[in-house]
Amino acid sequence: MIKYRKQLTALFLALGMVFSAALCRGIQPVRAKKQAGSDVVTLRVCNWEEYLDLGGWDEKERIELENNVSIFGEQALYHDFEQWYYENYGQRVQVEYSCFGTNEDLYNQLSLGDVYDLVCPSDYMIMKLMAKDMLVPYSDAFFDVSQPHNYYVRGVSPYIRQVFEENEINGESWSKYAAGYMWGVTGMLYNPDKVEEAEAGTWKLLGNPKYKCQVTIKDNVRDSYFAVLGMLKADLLTSNEFLSSADYGQRLTEELNDVSTPTIQASEKLFQQIRGNIYSFETDSGKADMVSGKVVASYQWSGDAVYAMDLAELDETYLSFAVPQECTNLFFDGWVMLKSGIEQDERKQHAAEAFVNFVSRSDNAIRNMYYIGYTSVIAGGPEDSTVFDYVNYCYGAEDGAGDTVEYPLGYFFSGDAEDSEYMLSTERQQCKRQLFAQYPTADVISRSAIMGYYTDEKNVELNQMWIHVRCFNLNQVPKPVWAAVLAAVLVLVILLIYKKLQKH
Amino acid sequence: MNRFRFTRKQLAIPYMVFLLLFVVMPLLVIIYFAFTNGDGQFTIANLITFFTNANTMGTLVYSAAVSVVSTLTCLLLAYPAAYILARGPWKHKSVLMMIFVLPMWINFTLRITALKEMLSVLEENLAYYPFWNTVIGMTYDFLPFMILPIYSTLVKLDDSLLEAAADLGAAPWQIFLKVTLPLSVPGIVSGVMMVFLPSMTNYVVLDMLYNSTYIMGSLIGSYFSADDWHNGSMIALILLTIIFTVSVVAGRYEDENMGNRGGALL
Repeated sequence: MIKYRKQLTALFLALGMVFSAALCRGIQPVRAKKQAGSDVVTLRVCNWEEYLDLGGWDEKERIELENNVSIFGEQALYHDFEQWYYENYGQRVQVEYSCFGTNEDLYNQLSLGDVYDLVCPSDYMIMKLMAKDMLVPYSDAFFDVSQPHNYYVRGVSPYIRQVFEENEINGESWSKYAAGYMWGVTGMLYNPDKVEEAEAGTWKLLGNPKYKCQVTIKDNVRDSYFAVLGMLKADLLTSNEFLSSADYGQRLTEELNDVSTPTIQASEKLFQQIRGNIYSFETDSGKADMVSGKVVASYQWSGDAVYAMDLAELDETYLSFAVPQECTNLFFDGWVMLKSGIEQDERKQHAAEAFVNFVSRSDNAIRNMYYIGYTSVIAGGPEDSTVFDYVNYCYGAEDGAGDTVEYPLGYFFSGDAEDSEYMLSTERQQCKRQLFAQYPTADVISRSAIMGYYTDEKNVELNQMWIHVRCFNLNQVPKPVWAAVLAAVLVLVILLIYKKLQKH
Repeated sequence: MNRFRFTRKQLAIPYMVFLLLFVVMPLLVIIYFAFTNGDGQFTIANLITFFTNANTMGTLVYSAAVSVVSTLTCLLLAYPAAYILARGPWKHKSVLMMIFVLPMWINFTLRITALKEMLSVLEENLAYYPFWNTVIGMTYDFLPFMILPIYSTLVKLDDSLLEAAADLGAAPWQIFLKVTLPLSVPGIVSGVMMVFLPSMTNYVVLDMLYNSTYIMGSLIGSYFSADDWHNGSMIALILLTIIFTVSVVAGRYEDENMGNRGGALL
């Protein structure tokens, strides 16, 4: 199937290229000269839109941390990388930076023959690419902790490292092929003036008639299906027997990756109910609608929730974030190198690995976090306190502030949940706001599950279910309406025929 | 040595190339996908699926309902406006007309965003009336396309015909029904064509106004993003056939009417 599509598309593209090449013939020689003149490695990076600091900061935005690190984004991070790489390795690299919109778009682009060296898809797409053997493993040098420039292995959070090592595809752990970038959980962004915390802390909020037409859900089948699974299986997921079972984590992951036909059918029924109860299926508008007050709660990824809370605060509106008690989806995006791009070119692979390390350097991780609102997987390692200082800079309580609590961040920064070094003294409300969304507490992490990728068959089934939910159901039309429409059409036809006959 | 002679025909070559690359080629690709299955073999299963699947039939009915209601609303709003503009005692008709067409100069997503805010205030919650919001959005978007052709037929209307009808004793309403309206039918037909067909597929309006029900355009998109190029292409092809049929029928009707007009003049 893919083969034919490729050929057709290739033919189509080729014709287009001939056409445009004919137009650009005058320009081409100049470009060729520039390429041949210097020995430059080209690194083709494809990332999510708005997912890397592009610089251009205002001087007011400069971040001065306690450990005397000063962070400022002057130009795009990949331009900084080009300079940094030349200074350290004496080799010129040119980064061709481009963006994709969804994981599926990226996958389609790749299967249509687009070539990239380094891409940053989400968890399940990494698994799919691994399973299809499309990735290049990171070299041994990348994992060498003694190398000062290996910022990724030296700085990655022990918690994320564990997740990447424990999970396997075809008997190989993810950590061999993927380096984490950003991570988060899914939950409910809500307006605490309108919605009780307890009501927001469950997926059942989506079907709660009290908030009819005031809650939004995601307009993609994976995220929405996860929420509906949480609703369907709420009783099981919150039962004592389930929570206290020895293999709780594994069972949770299994339950939330349940794509058996009866479950899909049950979810469709629930979707039909939810559909009448929600405000919209949204991809981007939910944040703005929360800030403007059109809706009172919105299903969001934690990073987007942080962004919306920041935005609302400018209008002195304080939103909160809750993670449903049943379960939450732990997601992350990671850097993977593609076989089709790297093609065993060692210089290219070196540059790609260096790029990952460069964006993993604590100050660069902070630049990205500041710019996009998501949480970097980088903790900085035992010697480097930059990231923790940044969290303190953002959310730490002012000296002498009244109602403060100790917020444990040890699970992320050192791997020890009770680590006293990583206790953040913060204002009480931050436990429900940005800090909680950016670094959820350990109990949230314990009820989180990763969604895997589905087989093509199951994808088709899920998509069909989704399309069915979104299409107009003819059974909804009452019989009198059908009769009226039929009568109208009949009258029209008779009238036309009558007119025709009259003419002759 | 070939002597190159430049002829007028060759001026059409750029357009031909454009047509070939961006109209004919994609069309062929659509036809190919529509009549093949996942293994690249010929099949008419996609065609049968279209007419037996509850999704596609439901969407077809819903899209048609949106289109018909939007077109009727447009017609009801546009005809009086065009009539007043064309037959009224105005001095600078073209300026007035420009004011009516002015909204078209503003980007349409911007207009719909503004409309969204207005409707939110008026209805309190957009999610209560998704169908009517869509109709209002489509009407807002396509109204100038209905006014323009009706206006241009009405403004060309021969006054002597109306005077003759009045002299022969017809009341004003009779003149309108027996003379003005039949003579403006070509304008109405092309206006209807310009509103009816795009409003069947313009799903951006639905998306922006939070109508979660798919119409034809969004259904095709959802099949494509679900990696089902074959059924998606079939839906696109059938939609194309519908549009083509409607255009041909409407074109014929117009021709017939032109003939009638000649008769009426005698």
